[in-house]
Amino acid sequence: MKTHRLVSCFCWITLSLFVMISSYRMGLGGVHSPGPGLMPFLLGVLLLFPSFYLLAEPLFRKREEEPAGEKAGRGQYRKIGMVLVSLVVFCLLLERLGYMLSMSLFCLALFRIMNNRWRTILIGSALTILITYYGFTFLGLKLPEGIFR
Amino acid sequence: MPDILSGLLSGFQVAFDPLNLLFCFAGVFIGTLIGVLPGIGPIGAMSILLPMTFGLSPVSSLIMLAGIYYGAQYGGSTTSILVNIPGEAASIVTCLDGYQMARQGRAGPALGIAAFGSLIGSTFSIIVLMFSVITLARVALKFGPPEYFSLICLSLLISVYLARGSFAKSIIMIILGLLLGCVGIDSVTGIPRFTFGSPSLYDGIGVSQIAMGLFGIAEVFENLEESLSRVVFKTRVKNLLPNLEDWKKSIGPIARGSILGFPLGILPGGGAVLASFLSYALEKRISKNPEKFGTGAIEGVAGPETANNAGAGGAFVPLLALGIPPNAVMALLLGALIVHGVAPGPTFITKHPQVFWGVIASMYVGNIMLLVLNLPLIGLWVKLLKVPYRIMMPLILVFCLIGAYSINNSVVDVLVMVLFGVVGYLLRKSGYDSAPLVLSFILGPLLETTFKQSLIMSDGSFSIFTQRPISAVTLAIAALLLISTAFSYYRKAKADVAFGDGGA
Repeated sequence: MKTHRLVSCFCWITLSLFVMISSYRMGLGGVHSPGPGLMPFLLGVLLLFPSFYLLAEPLFRKREEEPAGEKAGRGQYRKIGMVLVSLVVFCLLLERLGYMLSMSLFCLALFRIMNNRWRTILIGSALTILITYYGFTFLGLKLPEGIFR
Repeated sequence: MPDILSGLLSGFQVAFDPLNLLFCFAGVFIGTLIGVLPGIGPIGAMSILLPMTFGLSPVSSLIMLAGIYYGAQYGGSTTSILVNIPGEAASIVTCLDGYQMARQGRAGPALGIAAFGSLIGSTFSIIVLMFSVITLARVALKFGPPEYFSLICLSLLISVYLARGSFAKSIIMIILGLLLGCVGIDSVTGIPRFTFGSPSLYDGIGVSQIAMGLFGIAEVFENLEESLSRVVFKTRVKNLLPNLEDWKKSIGPIARGSILGFPLGILPGGGAVLASFLSYALEKRISKNPEKFGTGAIEGVAGPETANNAGAGGAFVPLLALGIPPNAVMALLLGALIVHGVAPGPTFITKHPQVFWGVIASMYVGNIMLLVLNLPLIGLWVKLLKVPYRIMMPLILVFCLIGAYSINNSVVDVLVMVLFGVVGYLLRKSGYDSAPLVLSFILGPLLETTFKQSLIMSDGSFSIFTQRPISAVTLAIAALLLISTAFSYYRKAKADVAFGDGGA
């Protein structure tokens, strides 16, 4: 939890400084005619306060308030990682290979990651692709054809 | 009164249009499904379906999306009672006594009273909603940019106050949402802000991509951490109609739940969840046998289920009357209305009477549909509950991907959704609540516009916010809220330090 807090505070402070510098460059304008950078600049300044508070909080709060939740095992994190990779690969392949092919690969991967039997993987993937393709095409959505163009 | 009756009659004409009836049914059906199945909530479902409503008329779109919201309140109780896992957040307390009733062979009366309580709570809230929106809209005609700015500040502050977790973390989420709202071309100067040279960001980030990522993808990642195994209660669910004794015990909680739930729904950050928790606490407090709560007391089901539906109706009041959504779900509805070129607010009823009365009337119709869906068709939902999560999860992701792609037929939107999914997951792991982020994201542009307009009106003087009475009172309440929260934090910190010294 301590690492989470330090990393997140560092991220917020960095974001805050980035926003303030970028906004200043856009131009803050004046109170008579506010510039495009005024609102984000003020928000960047405001963001610093809770960020520093969270950073300094353990100094004056002795009791740990965050509940010690059950941490996920390495296996679960691996599953999450695999799902994430599948999502990104799908995005990269969607317009090149087309909806049918890329979604087939995606469904096969996902059903497999979830430890389904091969029969479930194949039937589930086939049904998902057919129902979604024809269903959404019927609703007027144009799905990419890719190599089947 | 005659205006209201004629408005309602014209609304029923709109609601009974066959196409609108179909969309109403689709909305409440999907809402019930979402409520029954853990793994995706109403916000995730609405954000997936939102792009698909772009081709519909504003009234049809709103009827369907609203149906999903209040439908989910009905459906959430089914899984709470039968599986002891809440289908969505507002049904958490129903687990406490509902599941115990099921274990005692009284799943039927529990489901029955939950459904009837939901109907009564919803009906009550729709009636009060009609009168409240009209009255509030008349008052809001006196609002100018300073009043709106102050009201939005107060709304955001209250939503922070009521959010789960740390106050500082909720403030960060609000600010982050406001910053995300700044992405895109500035409406006044035409200068791109935080677009990093990418034309895809000139129009800003879409609310659908953010909501689907934070509430769809992130929820899937979180669920992957644990094996979601469900034991569905095995006995046949019978005797869905509560008996006379059940009604005697429940009528008080239902009445109190309706009256308590509606105003809580209006509160920013409140809504159905807060209403159900407070109703349970109230019923337990005033009960002659509080020790029975948690062991199968029907009052513990009747009150919260009524309150959450009454709260869901109450949440429409600030959205329709002021154009200010009180929670993330209403923020999505506001996004849908803006896309359709309909701006809710004080002139909403006069400029778009068909939309307003059509939605109100469809809520009556939708609640009747929900009673049929949730009682006679309970067997269908029990079967669906048995579908394992390892099959549900891929389907949820597939719908998220299609939903994101359908926005602009662009892979960039899908990538943005996945990115927010990762961000949402990391935020959850670090104890941040994403709901205030979505609310402030939607309100951000309006906050900035009203701020700039106020400064232009006052020729650069900030005193405009304190000189106008409504704005001054609103800001004073916001300041008091901030001071009282800071003071309670200071007292807690002082107590912690004293505790630490004493223990040393």
